[in-house]
Amino acid sequence: MNDGPLIVQSDKTILLEVDHELATEARHAIAAFAELERAPEHMHSYRLTPLGLWNARAAGLDAEQVLDTLLKYSRFPVPHALLIDVEETMSRYGRLRLEKDPQHGLVMRTDDYPVLEEVIRAKKIAPLLGPRIDGETVVVHSSQRGQLKQLLLKLGWPAEDLAGYVDGQPHLIMLDESGWQLRPYQKLATENFWAGGSGVVVLPCGAGKTLVGAAAMATSSTTTLILVTNTVSARQWKDELLKRTSLTEDEVGEYSGAVKEVRPVTIATYQVLTTKRGGLYPHLELVDGHDWGLIIYDEVHLLPAPIFRMTADLQARRRLGLTATLVREDGREGEVFSLIGPKRYDAPWKDIEAQGYIAPADCVEVRVDLPRDERVAYAMADDADKYRLCATSETKTKLVEDLVAVHKGEQLLVIGQYIDQLDEIAERLDAPLIKGETSVKARQKLFDAFRKGEIHTLVVSKVANFSIDLPEASVAIQVSGSFGSRQEEAQRLGRLLRPKQDGRAARFYSLVARDTLDQDFAAKRQRFLAEQGYAYRIMDAKDVGRDVGQEQ
Amino acid sequence: MSLIRALSKELEARSDNSLRALFAARPDLISPMAPDFAALAARASARVSVQRALERLNKPEMQVLETLHLCTNADTGHSVSAAGLKKVIAGSTLSALDPILAKLQELALIHRADPPQGSPTTSSRQRFYLPVGSLKDVIGIYPAGLGRSYTELVRLQPAFAQRVVHLVAELHHSGLGIHPASTPMDAALALQRWTSTPENLAAILSTAPERTTGLLDKFGSWAMGAVPQAQRRASVTHESHDVGPIDWLLARGLLVPLDAGHVELPHSVGLALRGGAIIDDFTLSPPVPELGHTSAALRRNAAMGAIAETLRLANELLFAVREQPLATLRSGGVGVRELRRLAESIRLGVQQTAILLELCALSGLLRLDVDSSTWIQPPSLEWLTLPRQEQWLWLVNAWLASERAPSLVGQPLTGPPSTSAHHGAAGATINALSAEAQRPDAPVVRRRVLEILNELTVEAAAPDGKAPVLDARAVLQRAEWAQPRMSRRFSSLVRGILEEATLLGLMGSGALTQLGSAIAGSQPEKAMTILGEHLPAAVNHILLQADLTAVAPGYLAPELSETLLLMADAEGQGPASIYRFSAATVRRALDAGQDAESLLAFLREHSATDVPQPLAYLIQDTASRHGRLRVGTSASFIQSDDETAISELLHEARTSVLSLVRIAPTVLTSSASPRETARVLRELGLSPAVQEAESAVVRFKRTTAVPGSARPVYTAPRTAPPDDDVEAQLVVLRQHRAVPAEATGEASTQLGLETLQTAIRLKQAVTMNVVDSLGNANTETVVPVSVSGGRVRVFDPAKDTERVLSIHRIIDVEPAGDVRS
Repeated sequence: MNDGPLIVQSDKTILLEVDHELATEARHAIAAFAELERAPEHMHSYRLTPLGLWNARAAGLDAEQVLDTLLKYSRFPVPHALLIDVEETMSRYGRLRLEKDPQHGLVMRTDDYPVLEEVIRAKKIAPLLGPRIDGETVVVHSSQRGQLKQLLLKLGWPAEDLAGYVDGQPHLIMLDESGWQLRPYQKLATENFWAGGSGVVVLPCGAGKTLVGAAAMATSSTTTLILVTNTVSARQWKDELLKRTSLTEDEVGEYSGAVKEVRPVTIATYQVLTTKRGGLYPHLELVDGHDWGLIIYDEVHLLPAPIFRMTADLQARRRLGLTATLVREDGREGEVFSLIGPKRYDAPWKDIEAQGYIAPADCVEVRVDLPRDERVAYAMADDADKYRLCATSETKTKLVEDLVAVHKGEQLLVIGQYIDQLDEIAERLDAPLIKGETSVKARQKLFDAFRKGEIHTLVVSKVANFSIDLPEASVAIQVSGSFGSRQEEAQRLGRLLRPKQDGRAARFYSLVARDTLDQDFAAKRQRFLAEQGYAYRIMDAKDVGRDVGQEQ
Repeated sequence: MSLIRALSKELEARSDNSLRALFAARPDLISPMAPDFAALAARASARVSVQRALERLNKPEMQVLETLHLCTNADTGHSVSAAGLKKVIAGSTLSALDPILAKLQELALIHRADPPQGSPTTSSRQRFYLPVGSLKDVIGIYPAGLGRSYTELVRLQPAFAQRVVHLVAELHHSGLGIHPASTPMDAALALQRWTSTPENLAAILSTAPERTTGLLDKFGSWAMGAVPQAQRRASVTHESHDVGPIDWLLARGLLVPLDAGHVELPHSVGLALRGGAIIDDFTLSPPVPELGHTSAALRRNAAMGAIAETLRLANELLFAVREQPLATLRSGGVGVRELRRLAESIRLGVQQTAILLELCALSGLLRLDVDSSTWIQPPSLEWLTLPRQEQWLWLVNAWLASERAPSLVGQPLTGPPSTSAHHGAAGATINALSAEAQRPDAPVVRRRVLEILNELTVEAAAPDGKAPVLDARAVLQRAEWAQPRMSRRFSSLVRGILEEATLLGLMGSGALTQLGSAIAGSQPEKAMTILGEHLPAAVNHILLQADLTAVAPGYLAPELSETLLLMADAEGQGPASIYRFSAATVRRALDAGQDAESLLAFLREHSATDVPQPLAYLIQDTASRHGRLRVGTSASFIQSDDETAISELLHEARTSVLSLVRIAPTVLTSSASPRETARVLRELGLSPAVQEAESAVVRFKRTTAVPGSARPVYTAPRTAPPDDDVEAQLVVLRQHRAVPAEATGEASTQLGLETLQTAIRLKQAVTMNVVDSLGNANTETVVPVSVSGGRVRVFDPAKDTERVLSIHRIIDVEPAGDVRS
């Protein structure tokens, strides 16, 4: 038996012992085909999924290399059934190929006649195909390329897309690397993406995904469409592009509810594209009416379903997806894979943190005891109201005040779900509140002030979850969350992870009411954060002042 | 001369070495010891013994024996020589046949005989043979897969006899070159002549519709086949031009209907199809399957992985059964629902769980507790304390010796439908641990499968340590060649045996592993050594993590894992075990009497890392709130709103008999009954109100002592008798050299039976001495009709009636007309 760092489990997970001397080497070797699932302190666990194995095939790895890697680094015998399974799964990729035929246009080809027979008989696939040319080839309607790939994936016969991309309209874009430089992993991510054609880059929040986008645009040097989640995020993309590239104000357009500019580089929100009027999507024309050379999807994991359908028609254009996590609460990771492309780059948060590019985080769960009357109210409440009751406990408001006092002088965010509670907290703290009804202009102003240090404390509702950039927030206090969603947690934490100038750790407090639903949800979040490798502590409310006092 | 007597003489004339070889090959002959050569010959001719001997013959030996049976006739003394056999076994040579005949003779399945009368004198130098008498019964009605002759079919199939004359007449009228006949027997002979040579048959078949050859090929190895509506009217005269092959063959009598669903290909047709030879695929070398190869490293990886996994899962299964014994169904076995529950608790598929469960049960790791009708683990099970390689050997030995076929569980029930409504219903499957998965021949088959695997592996081994990938098909094919008579028993078991062998690491990556060959070669020590070297040692530390998991990086020592399972739930499946803590699991440990300190101390002691803060917090937090509601037993309680009154009672000396406990400021409990408590209180001058409630039913669980399991010892099924027995037998036989064959009772029974059977075949009368119900011996002369099941049916010509006699009433039998000496 060799003494490798991996333990390959028969349930298709791979455990990696982090403290092993070969751990880094082994991690790099398996990252290509296994998805990192959990990264707590000592044992990381990876999962082998068909999608991951097909990703690896798409990236040019074959089954033999995968098996060799497993056998080489495994400490114990590798379950034989798993080896066979890997081999079989990987052999399914690429039996079908989408190719360009000079005579017939887009065609699907195979060397394996029965597979083709099987798929063309599938009810959903038949309408996407044109006439059969010979036993091994069938014409594909080019508008159905994405749809077809998606359905083939579902059938378990993922197609290898060799049909290439349209060039798009050229437009010179260059990176303006004065005073900063592309980080090595950003460079690598861009290169991997470009070599693969299309695909998704997974980087933690705060690791500079925007710059990967900019670098990809510079490599492509074509007109580009960027799809983002909301207007604030669109503005930030614009600012960042103007700062980091040769693009000028006139070349970057915003296409949102408020403004509809179409420029060589256009930033559009998901929302405006999915606006439906009279059964039609009036703004979809933006996407297919122009000859984009590159389409960037920000926060792929939030991509709404209509965008999926729309993307299905864009398969001839290069697509870059950016995300912090491929985990989708709706489990549609497969669609991201087939419509945008396989994962091209992935780095665990902890790695980038260790390199000093993002701030380390210290997560603290503070348990508060509900006062007697609130406990009774909670016990007697309807199920639907229970969570709101315990999450908005008055004791939390008091605790927030204490914590703000402890962290006096630091940039601090209070994040919550319930507006009433936030209103009250904002009032007690005498801090501005950003919520849904706050205008974009007012938000921007407040963010600017916060960034400049004019305001130290900001209370935000869940509208601030996505893509706002608050460089100097070093403490966040979460008073209530939406039922322990993992994705929300990642986003909130992301707010804190931009590197601090003094290298201090970010502090993330969650206030949790003991013995209630709040605690159950917190347990979920705790598991998620601990699995991501963050330091996590639990303390009682009464210890708050003491604990922090000692540290400082 | 009687065949048995002939055999007896021949055996007597053999050398001691030749007899030793016979006893080694047919150990049943001398168990118990035979008194003399006549008895030995009688035993060797008995049906069961011959059957056993045939099971050990390979395909060419079987073919020669069957051909010899077809070519000889003991009644007429028509024997056959190797040269005679060579003519009807295509592809054979004398040098191939002679050793086979010698072996068959050594096995006492055939014996030397005089040349048939009228044979040329040149053949006097050749050896002629006859088979033992019961061979005919053992081989069955289709020797070498050939059908019966037309004459025999006419004799035995009345429906065919009725039709055959008409059929032949039709053929004659259609100008097919067949002689017309007036009696069924003549018609049969006409058909026989018509189809007698390959050329004749080819001429007949030249006008056959297409697909006929393909259809006839299916009768190539077995003369009988299933055909829908076999008794349909098929006629040459009313034949349309698009007639189907079956109609066509039936109309020409080339297939003979047996009943509504079966037809038979007559002997002469089958023979002609084989080009005039009885055997047309004679070969001395076994078929070599086309096999892929797999490397030694992969095989070892698979074997070690499988063994570690099986042992770990067996341990987990036992733990689960200890927690909750397995309930059995009324009809026996463990039901699907119960199995599913077990599968869930060890996080495994139902089918795999069933096999594992069977494996545990057949190894004695589980026992059926008769009192509770549940499967439990016997207390103080030695297996649990053994090192892993010994645990493995325990399982392997038990598996080799077991008469159960674990892989049959979950397969559809076959066989006659049961009379009761609830089982035997359509879609019913075999339950785990039920009687239906019992297969008495499993040990023999298992042994043979391992031997065959070993054989094939040795034959096809590649130089660089690669071994052939073997599947059920390759094994069956070889079994078919090596033991055609036994191979039918293989087919339902082989697949499961290979699967189970994979589970036990005897097979890996589709090939026989080093361990497998060691076990196949009966070298368990070698296997243990290999295993000891390669099975990773148990770890006795865990890694605790902030996501509330504990990971054991390898096989965790059982006592550790058991304690951990109390405070955390196992997760996932594989060499490393993962345990997840939660408030519920910690509470479980607290319920079992642990406290926060002892839990943390255990974790600190066995963790290679610090106890993470969230885990420590979880344990302490849960412990601090554990027991907010308490449950206990008491026989009665005293409640009063007056706390001081309660305190007074507690300190009152006269209440000590009640053993009061204060469980709340206003409540006391007592171990005495309410009536007794009230009496004591009244004595104290108080007036308690007694609330009568239903008295609790206290159940006492009967504890039964269940014996521990003994370590299974596997000895391979004996292939040869011990040397001592053989030598003793030889001494006995040689001492009785002078005694005439008829002297012992044992031989005379067999001789009598032989006489009866000969008389049945030749329709001759016999004179028998029969004891009637009053104990008087009578001598009768009758014609026997048939013998079976210990009875003989006879025709009494004197009274013109048929009677049935029990064989044990018959003292002796002589062919009628023989003069008694």
